Amino acid sequence: MEGGTPATAPILKLDGIAKSFPGVRALKGVSFEVRPGEVHALLGENGAGKSTLIKIISGVYQPDEGTIALDGRPARFASPQEAQAAGIATIYQELLLFPELSVAENIWMGHAPRGPFGTIDWAKARAKARELLESLDIHDLDVTRTVGSLSVGNRQRVEIAKALSHNARILIMDEPTAALTEHDVERLFGIVRRLRERGVGIIYISHRLEEIFTLADRVTVLRDGEYVATRDVKDITTDDLIAMMVGRRIEALFPKMEAKIGEPVLEVENLVRRPMTRGVSLTVRAGEIVGLAGLVGAGRSEFAQVIFGVTPAESGTIRIGGQPVRIRSTGEAKRHGIAYVPEDRGLQGLVRPMKILENASLAVLGRLSRNSFIDRKAERQLAVDAVRKFSIRASSVEQVVNELSGGNQQKVVLGKWLATQPRLLIMDEPTRGIDVGAKSEIHRLMSELAQQGLAILMISSELPEILGMSDRILVMRQGRIVAEFPRAEATQEKIAAAMMSDVPVAGAA
Amino acid sequence: MTDATISTGQRLRRSLGSHEAILFVILVIALIVLDQLTDRFFTTSNLLNQGRLMTEVALVALPMTYIIITGGIDLSVGSTLGLCAIVLGVTWQNVGLPLELAVVVALATGALAGFMNGWFITRVRVPPLIMTLATLALYRGLAEGISEARSVRGYPEGFYILGQGEVLGVPTQLWILLVAMIVFWVVLEKTTFGRALYAIGHNETAARFSGIPVDRIKLIIYTASGLMAGLSAVIFVSRVTTTRSDMGTGLELDVIAAVVLGGTSIFGGVGTITGTIIGFVLIQLLKNGLALTGVKGDATIIVIGSVLILSILITTLLERRRSRD
Repeated sequence: MEGGTPATAPILKLDGIAKSFPGVRALKGVSFEVRPGEVHALLGENGAGKSTLIKIISGVYQPDEGTIALDGRPARFASPQEAQAAGIATIYQELLLFPELSVAENIWMGHAPRGPFGTIDWAKARAKARELLESLDIHDLDVTRTVGSLSVGNRQRVEIAKALSHNARILIMDEPTAALTEHDVERLFGIVRRLRERGVGIIYISHRLEEIFTLADRVTVLRDGEYVATRDVKDITTDDLIAMMVGRRIEALFPKMEAKIGEPVLEVENLVRRPMTRGVSLTVRAGEIVGLAGLVGAGRSEFAQVIFGVTPAESGTIRIGGQPVRIRSTGEAKRHGIAYVPEDRGLQGLVRPMKILENASLAVLGRLSRNSFIDRKAERQLAVDAVRKFSIRASSVEQVVNELSGGNQQKVVLGKWLATQPRLLIMDEPTRGIDVGAKSEIHRLMSELAQQGLAILMISSELPEILGMSDRILVMRQGRIVAEFPRAEATQEKIAAAMMSDVPVAGAA
Repeated sequence: MTDATISTGQRLRRSLGSHEAILFVILVIALIVLDQLTDRFFTTSNLLNQGRLMTEVALVALPMTYIIITGGIDLSVGSTLGLCAIVLGVTWQNVGLPLELAVVVALATGALAGFMNGWFITRVRVPPLIMTLATLALYRGLAEGISEARSVRGYPEGFYILGQGEVLGVPTQLWILLVAMIVFWVVLEKTTFGRALYAIGHNETAARFSGIPVDRIKLIIYTASGLMAGLSAVIFVSRVTTTRSDMGTGLELDVIAAVVLGGTSIFGGVGTITGTIIGFVLIQLLKNGLALTGVKGDATIIVIGSVLILSILITTLLERRRSRD
């Protein structure tokens, strides 16, 4: 069927894989296979289910449904160790090496060659480590150096050698080029090609479409946890891939209502905070919802945290309501009427062991107190009002936030920040990890708030959310705004293309 | 909601099972047992005298409660006390300042020592354990250097009122302690500052993201810790009529033991002034009662250690049973 690749039998074959987590269906009916000597790319938006699939292949999760076959025989990996023993190695984005140990020690961690008395034969370990590296055409790496002193590219090579020391036949590479320099990327490609010649099957995950066209033989696309298609790379174009990734109808989930757009509330010019914010300019007006799209790592949250004073700007100007301001702390941002509903609810948004009551008032304690004595009655009233207004499902305002569902937790965060009566609301992934019902409630709230004249900057990795909620869409890549679309002109394809483009971003700063 | 009806029973059970309540029961039992063992223990004069001896640890335990609630620690309090005592003696005798002014300088020295800790912890991001371990050595070294191994004595009679005198039949320093206890209790229980301490202890990042000036608050509590160590130093000198550079050695252990015994979690976010008060009272009474019944010093430490473990054990067991309910 797929013409070009030699029709050898697959090493690994997954069929009808399904996996659910409480409240979320992560994968459904996914099929995937890897043949010896092929680079098989796995592609999909954030949340499409790539990571879950990888974790099933590498034994971290067990599928709820479906079969896994290794060399044509059914297999079941109860743990990562079992998958590893079967010849499946994974190289994660964050490398799992011991920085204090040497290259050879890292490669042989757990299965070092033994000497006569069961002691580790270090001479042999070093020699075999050198052999492994040389087989990958790596001749410039001293196996006695500590891994912590190596460059990211070199560490990755060590990780690959380590995988091979387990006689890996399948190598999973999760965004391997994300942190590499161009030169390192070239070398990595060389290594991958060498492994392919040796008959290793490689599962290659990357957002960079260009890499997929350079390196991969086949590509499988996932979308919303479902299998879309597997294609030979030489038969398809970039546009085909993007269409496959995003090609779903926009659900009528988002009741975006018309709002009167007024004066600029936030005006940012050439804002810099290295390394992630590298010259951002944008405007958000009263009543306007501006969607900020981009890949993970594009610098969107980092930018939001510069505005919010968590990591103050190094240069550039911020104007609030036309007045230039300096924001050096979160307290100052709050006083200027900025509210930030952060991406990581548990870490940044809430003090989870505390009650709803105490969380709801945390950002407005100053207002709820007289001579710094907390007015308990006013505090309780605030929380009771928030619970009613946002229909937070809780036994009482005394309930500890930790016991609430994700959606209700998010509403507490929202309530906490709206209590500050902000002029600008920054929402970072406002509906991540919450169920569909709560999601549309939060969208309805956003719409209402915009109608009341609040300026909203929404960061989201879900394109339907961006398209559904935004009056205007900005795309961020490599710490800069690279594209802008009015609501009427925006399409998933245009935004995705801008997010994933490989054109270097022109230096504005 | 049936909120009110459920919570009466729950609240009762919660308050009965609270760490403070358990400690209080242990305290009462200790009082009864010690009273049975010796008739010299449960007398007004003995108890007041014990209050006198307890004050220095108690005054420092109050800000230490704040610090531990935020997830920090201050190991340098004993050395700060020593340094302040020496500064008091030297500025009065050698520099020739009036005693009142010398007291002010000693208090300022304590505050400055605490501020130093706080500054490095918040600005340079040195972990509190490391920073205050360093200043534990540094401040003691300074005290020894300044004193040159000489002690200062011969303070004017009036000065001894603070450490040895009485007001309305109660030792002077107990009045100071009473005021300090009330202030620290009110601030922690009733004010935005107290709420911020708990928030920082549970989740510093979220506190920061809520616009709470986390660094300023930490700076204030470490400074307060130094200041209270300075106050303890002045009272200590007045009580023992002399100044030596080794004063307050090991104080940090007594202070931290009292705070932890009082139920403040070393992981942050949990703790009360009431608990700390019961903590230092219990430790002092055990020490005294055991000494009166003829138990030697080493055995006293064993008993205190055991009480510490026992109280934490009971609380943990009750906590576990409650979460199973």
